[in-house]
Amino acid sequence: MGWFKIRHKGIGQVAYVFQRLSGLVIVFYLYLHLFVLSNLLRGQVTYNQIVSSITYGPDDLFVVFDVLLALVIFYHGANGLRLALNEMGIGLKHNKLFFFLFEGIAMVALIIFLYYAWQFIAVG
Amino acid sequence: MQDVDLRKPRTSRKALGPFQWILQVSTGIFLIFFVGVHLYLAHINFGHPIVFYNTVLENMHNPWWLLFYIAFVWIVAYHALNGVKGIIYDTGVKGRVRAAVSYGLTLAYIATVIYGTALAIAVSRIIVP
Repeated sequence: MGWFKIRHKGIGQVAYVFQRLSGLVIVFYLYLHLFVLSNLLRGQVTYNQIVSSITYGPDDLFVVFDVLLALVIFYHGANGLRLALNEMGIGLKHNKLFFFLFEGIAMVALIIFLYYAWQFIAVG
Repeated sequence: MQDVDLRKPRTSRKALGPFQWILQVSTGIFLIFFVGVHLYLAHINFGHPIVFYNTVLENMHNPWWLLFYIAFVWIVAYHALNGVKGIIYDTGVKGRVRAAVSYGLTLAYIATVIYGTALAIAVSRIIVP
């Protein structure tokens, strides 16, 4: 578990550790998502009850988890894209700049996404 | 000051080997597109969540969207489980444990894509109320 140590190892190691942790969170969510979607087979009433419960209560704490999940997904995607560009030799010399640039763009995109997603659920 | 650690970024390339690492990177690039489209459709443009059931069904009745989601499941499952493999390999497992991890995750991949594909097809065949 040496990869988990981030003290005094620089931003590169922090990016690496968070890439893995965020990946594990997304894998867990992927299977949870498949489980929830399986309820489509149980019919309209059951599925809509679940969606309603996790959106408007009593289990609306899931909205907070959804926001955290979105944060994790945007982080993972932006850092992953940076690593993909690194594979092509792009951005290696200015990698610290690339890291903050990509994450900055991702966080702006996240805020825009959350704004519109909030408009979406606020209809109810 | 430039961070030396970032000039040679740590990845799972060594643990996974070049072929699986390239597949990991390629599927990751595809997923930025797939996840972007999915987030837009499911969380912004789809309408009210309470009518989600109908809108999902209507969407999945379109063969192109059905194909999109099946491809999504296949690609995301590969990226996810290959990523998990890289993390486990990086702990230094060797020999039979490493082989067991590989077989186990391959089986998990096959099970996931079969289930995900069957679910997508089953949902596409439900009649919209």
